[in-house]
Amino acid sequence: MNPVKVKRLIVRGVCFLAVVAVSLLAVDAGVTTSASGPGKDIAKQEPQVLQNHQKHQEHKELQALLDAAKPGDSLILKEGVYEGPVVIDKRIVLRADKPGGVILRNNSSRPALSIQGDGVEVEGLSIQDISVKENATVLVSGQRVILAGLHILTGADGIAIRDAHDGTIKDTVIQWAPKGVRQANKGNGIDLYNAHRWTLTGNEITDVHDGIYMENSDDALVSGNVLRLSRYGVHCMYTKGTVIENNEGDRNVTGAMVMTARQVSVVGNTFTKQSENVNSQGILLYDAHETSVKDNRVDGNRVGLYIEQSTLNKVAGNSVSYNFIGLQLLESDDNEITGNGFVGNVADAQARGSRSNSISGNYWDGFQGIDADGDGSSDISYAINPFFQGLTQKRPPFQLFFQSPGMVFLEGLYGGDSSGWARDSAPLMAPSPESLQSAERSEGDAASALLGLALLGCASLLFFGMRRVVQ
Amino acid sequence: MNEIGYVAAREIKIGFRNPWAYSFMALFALFMLSLLLINAQSYVKGYSGISGTMLNLALYLLPLMALMLGAFSLTGEKEEGNWELLSTYPLGTWAFLSGKYIGLSVVLLVIVALGFGLSGVAGWLLGGGFDFSTYGQLLVFCICLSLFFLGASMLVGTIAKNRWQALTLAVGIWFFAVIAWPSLLIAALGMLPYSVIKPAITVLTFLNPAELTRLFTVVKLGGGSTLGPEYYNWMRWIGSPWGTPVFAGAMMAWIGVALLIAYAVWERGRRVG
Repeated sequence: MNPVKVKRLIVRGVCFLAVVAVSLLAVDAGVTTSASGPGKDIAKQEPQVLQNHQKHQEHKELQALLDAAKPGDSLILKEGVYEGPVVIDKRIVLRADKPGGVILRNNSSRPALSIQGDGVEVEGLSIQDISVKENATVLVSGQRVILAGLHILTGADGIAIRDAHDGTIKDTVIQWAPKGVRQANKGNGIDLYNAHRWTLTGNEITDVHDGIYMENSDDALVSGNVLRLSRYGVHCMYTKGTVIENNEGDRNVTGAMVMTARQVSVVGNTFTKQSENVNSQGILLYDAHETSVKDNRVDGNRVGLYIEQSTLNKVAGNSVSYNFIGLQLLESDDNEITGNGFVGNVADAQARGSRSNSISGNYWDGFQGIDADGDGSSDISYAINPFFQGLTQKRPPFQLFFQSPGMVFLEGLYGGDSSGWARDSAPLMAPSPESLQSAERSEGDAASALLGLALLGCASLLFFGMRRVVQ
Repeated sequence: MNEIGYVAAREIKIGFRNPWAYSFMALFALFMLSLLLINAQSYVKGYSGISGTMLNLALYLLPLMALMLGAFSLTGEKEEGNWELLSTYPLGTWAFLSGKYIGLSVVLLVIVALGFGLSGVAGWLLGGGFDFSTYGQLLVFCICLSLFFLGASMLVGTIAKNRWQALTLAVGIWFFAVIAWPSLLIAALGMLPYSVIKPAITVLTFLNPAELTRLFTVVKLGGGSTLGPEYYNWMRWIGSPWGTPVFAGAMMAWIGVALLIAYAVWERGRRVG
């Protein structure tokens, strides 16, 4: 081999490695920015504490105005800053003359606003109550209260409702204000205790403990709310007849948590990107009975649908895609799981116990069925392998093998006797159009095609340079 | 330094004339393409069904390819008498081994680049394609896997006397590290007291490059929460700015140690004859 050729070879090799290295560096930079990118844009959005109020408006004594009002009066507040805490103990309407202009500020450890009277309406106030404390920012104990269009910055529970019924909270924004507080120590956005038949619609709750927490509170309507960056989006404990519909949640630990509840309906909600925490789920049912979970979209969560120790629930028509685990079914019986689409999940389903459910007509993209009679559903059933679930329940450290090639191999070996497994008796051959949607594309795909082209080019060049020249 | 260059250049040249390299390349490209076709029009982003499948495909194929290419290259030199000839030249063992490693890495990385380039372009043309950072992460995964197992292959090629021994050893290591790994660990560690299991798995994972690279990639793709609460620290740690450099350091140490052992064995053989 002559030295010139050797040099040329080495130069080519080095060039190739350099191109690969540069592209990798670019990728790594891209990864770190994209990893820190989403997730934080909303978290970083500083709650704005308004301070540029006009100088001539001195702090007004709101409590005095309230004391002077008679039951049935409407009190329209002029722009300005009012000092809390205040108490409303009779039926009046309190309204800001301009939304965002009226600020109720509270530095005490009592609630900024306590509503004790029945039929009170409060509208359009901005409430700043940013010290960390026990008492809620707004405490409601009167019946048939209506809160609308409030903007609450809180260091406690945003709105707490105690032993009061038939009220409404709508179009209200609740945000956690103090910095550096662990999520476990934050307050809830809206906290209902022994409060029945409330209507909660169109609220936007960010960065709190639980977005909406309901305990011993029946027949609430939770609709059209947006819940973000909190622990649980909607959390039911010991409730009955709650309706959770058309809400949107992302980047919470869990979207909708239904625990120890009956006849709850979870319909048409969207829960996405709840994958950061090791306990994240899209929708969780625990000890829930006669619940209906329909037409929800759960995308990109750790577990899409998690059902444990729950019976007689109906889970239908949900689109469960791009989660790490689509469905997790633990010790649950007599549930009906039909017509859901499981697409693009790393593992379609895991089950333990759960032998007597009626599961049929779902689409599992990891399963290849056979449809001899052409009715659109497979003639062979899809059995959910319980091996991994059983193994990791006994010894959680083995969770490390999740979907590793050796584990997939071992699960295949274990498939001998599948008679006791949870199974879909007639899985769909093709997904229903409404359950099928691809993950949103970003602008990066053209870039990856370009990188692909560059790789292809470099590799081909090397091959071309290496070809044997017949002399 | 010059000697390493000569050996590497020779290795690249031989590598590209080796029918093995071409059949491996065809295999890898074909599998990448068929995976894309099965999931036509789906978009690959983050840790999902399709990227998980791609990870597993690479884990099946690349370690075996790397082990065989590397081990055959070294045992071929012994069997065909090239090494005896080279021994009469002023060429050190270290230059020989590291030159071989570098040359083979170029060949293997070209195979990976071609397969990836093809699927990247084809995916885009089919209307699906890859998210850029996911594409890059999968590429990094394949490169790391190749480099790791090439290091191991140097050791295999040194220990084996001929191609048959090399084949046996290579397939054995591949099966042990990729297919049988969870079964063996579950069987062996299942007998130990509970508190020992996690530390034991941690240590063993650092010994198995296939597992180490897979876990690093899964966490980087955002799938760290699948590992469960036991490994919360791993997830946090790999995600921190130190994650990538430390992984790269561990990889270099691993490959360095493999080459050093190969060097020691080879030197001993040279002296003993």
